Amino acid sequence: MNTVMVRPEKCIGCRHCEIACAVEHSISKTLLGVISEDPTPKPRLHVEVGPGLLTFPNRCRHCDPAPCLQVCPTAALCRDVQTDSVIVDYPKCIACGACAMVCPFGIIQFDKTWQIAVDRQVNTKCDHCIDRQREGRIPACVEACKTGALAFGDINELVRTSRSDFTFKVLSAPQTEVELPEIPANIRAFRNIMKKITAIGILRD
Amino acid sequence: MYIDPEYLKETSEKRSLDKTDQEIVQKALQDGVETVWERLAKQQPQCGFGQLGICCNRCVMGPCRIDPFGGEPKRAVCGATRDLIAARNILDDLATGAAAHSDHGREVIEVLLETAEGKSRGYRIMDVDKLKAVAGEYGIETQGKKKAAIAKALALAMLEEFGTVKNRIQLIQRAPDKTREMWKRIGITPRSVDREIVEAMHRVHMGVGADYANILLHALRTSLSDGWGGSMMATEGSDILFGTPAPTTTHANLGVLKKDAVNIVLHGHNPILSEMMVLAAEDAALKKLAKEKGARGINLAGMCCTGNELLMRHGIPIAGNELDQELAIATGSVEVMVIDYQCIFPSLTDTAKCYHTQVVSTSEKSKIPGATHLECHPESALDTAREIVKLAVENFPHRDLQRVRIPEKPMKMMAGFSEEAVRSALGGSYKPLIDAIVAGKIRGAVGIVGCNNPKVQQDYGHITLGKELIKRDILVVETGCAAIASGKAGLLLPEAAGLAGDGLRSVCEALKVPPVLHMGSCVDCSRILMLAANIAKELNVGIEDLPLGGAAPEWYSQKAISIGAYFVASGVFTVLDIPPKIFGSPEVVNLLTAGLNGLVNAAFAVEPDPVKAADLLEEVIEKKRQGLGI
Repeated sequence: MNTVMVRPEKCIGCRHCEIACAVEHSISKTLLGVISEDPTPKPRLHVEVGPGLLTFPNRCRHCDPAPCLQVCPTAALCRDVQTDSVIVDYPKCIACGACAMVCPFGIIQFDKTWQIAVDRQVNTKCDHCIDRQREGRIPACVEACKTGALAFGDINELVRTSRSDFTFKVLSAPQTEVELPEIPANIRAFRNIMKKITAIGILRD
Repeated sequence: MYIDPEYLKETSEKRSLDKTDQEIVQKALQDGVETVWERLAKQQPQCGFGQLGICCNRCVMGPCRIDPFGGEPKRAVCGATRDLIAARNILDDLATGAAAHSDHGREVIEVLLETAEGKSRGYRIMDVDKLKAVAGEYGIETQGKKKAAIAKALALAMLEEFGTVKNRIQLIQRAPDKTREMWKRIGITPRSVDREIVEAMHRVHMGVGADYANILLHALRTSLSDGWGGSMMATEGSDILFGTPAPTTTHANLGVLKKDAVNIVLHGHNPILSEMMVLAAEDAALKKLAKEKGARGINLAGMCCTGNELLMRHGIPIAGNELDQELAIATGSVEVMVIDYQCIFPSLTDTAKCYHTQVVSTSEKSKIPGATHLECHPESALDTAREIVKLAVENFPHRDLQRVRIPEKPMKMMAGFSEEAVRSALGGSYKPLIDAIVAGKIRGAVGIVGCNNPKVQQDYGHITLGKELIKRDILVVETGCAAIASGKAGLLLPEAAGLAGDGLRSVCEALKVPPVLHMGSCVDCSRILMLAANIAKELNVGIEDLPLGGAAPEWYSQKAISIGAYFVASGVFTVLDIPPKIFGSPEVVNLLTAGLNGLVNAAFAVEPDPVKAADLLEEVIEKKRQGLGI
């Protein structure tokens, strides 16, 4: 099963993924083209801010079974078996919001899109870039990520790193400080400073 | 608009330390006015590449960025590493700040020249002693010469500090020999103001070297051309034209706005027009017009460093610092906000649209859509100022009394501590201060400077650090937004000596001065340099040997980078709270926070917690005391 794995500790909040997502879901597929399109394509994943100004790119997990798909009264949500993706058949969507109510990640959004001829809002959640996947390309957000916060591949392959990190932590001698994945000292220092700033400003947790 | 009172209270307390500011933050929220804090929240998350300084947006092979976690990409398209990118970025920012200060300085000297030539109207040479003293430094004969002739020769000589023919800055000679030797040794003696800034712009171009340390050394040199050049000329030129400040008492905070008078807020940095505003506000015909319009008078209030310039020389009350510019408008009581330049929010005219306030722009360099533009020129500035006052008076009837709220109590404060005033308060020589430092009554001194930054509760950094330092018998000297914060908080009063340690308190009580001294606007950080230089010279040491520190607890501006850098390059350890955009490069961080110690006996530190920042400053001060054997 191919998926996009998020390593939040490597996210620095640049929002490249958001821009790449909007461009991918545009008619022109170019940044300059996007600006003049109507409706304006919007990102389908969101970089959110959490405690200590740390950031997390929140994105559809393409669950299976998917709660959204299960509750959809018009069967507008369906599964693309080839890519293991939950996708929306836009004309069928009645924008009832039932899918948004049950989504465990809160990532469903409604918007106008050029992909449906009718002038109304529909569920425009992440489509896993299935067009790209069918061409053998990785999702646009992953391609745009320059820090390794987003990775695409087989879930079991991707969790292997996390598994070995965990193993290492468990087997390290007690009292030793193990940090995996290893964060460079300068980045750790920066994050500590920003955490302190949240304590004395408006950007509090 | 109804907003939950609990939410209002909590939000206003998060945003600002000062009670009067909190009151108007609440009003702005209720009035639905967008302020800097809303915009900051909407900007979250802010780009990590940008914050870490490893995004390069200079050429169109890029923009490029480096993976901060050590993966690919490690180099920009041109081949630049994270170190080079971060160093170029910080040099670019610093040069912007140095240019802002220095261009301000140039304008003051241009007015000095036009005044000397009899081309300006309303301007006079107020401090002839200083004119002669500074002219003497430039080797200008003053004996038997008219002040206009001296002023002309001095202005021309100072304008040459910006050029490239002379290739040295005269005012650098004011630094102690040892400090100047240090600069010479490491090759950072500035040659001219414009030259260093232009060269900085050259050096950030692609393919002009790849050695980050070489770039950072030029950054130090550029900063010195600001502190001992452009900024110092702004200070000296303004003193000659408008008078050297002497201790004065006035008031601070939004409560200085008046319910029954025409309120004109003077915001920005350059005193050239606002000095004429002071004259225009005294115009009998305009005062009469104000009465006719139902106002009891014309009330000038300062904002940011234009405000500092005016309160230092004329005791004009000050409404607040950077984050007060929108709040002043939100009181609903400002008829006109006059702006010159720097630190003026580009959205200010939209803020003004929520009330009857008119924004009047006065500099050809600084126009804002939606503002009334009445351009200031030395030959007609007084007329322009009268026109602005008239505009304000005529706007008074448009004030919506239902929407006016002005905080009750302005805070009393003392300002006007120019270097000359400090010396005179000490009885004409630094000896009493030096004796107090040697005796340990005063452990040392710290210059707290810089801005507000909405990422930090307004004034929290300045006030907490200031209180912490005076408690430890460390004298605090301030400029800019930091000084205004202390004014609002009551630290600029002789009574505040009660918050100081026993030693500092006894000195302050004897001299009847506050433990925190307001030394002026941000270009007046040059006064802090002069204070340090004169003390060092009296002891026959370098500035780098003195028990001094610097801090910019709420900085946001490129100008603050330049100030911080010329403090450090002059040998003064300096603490910042917001991290500069360098943390993507461990090498740049290491050079600026440690490596510089070996070159200029000072470095930067980053510490957002003001108490810990005070620890760091105290540690350095004690170390330097040991070095001096005291």
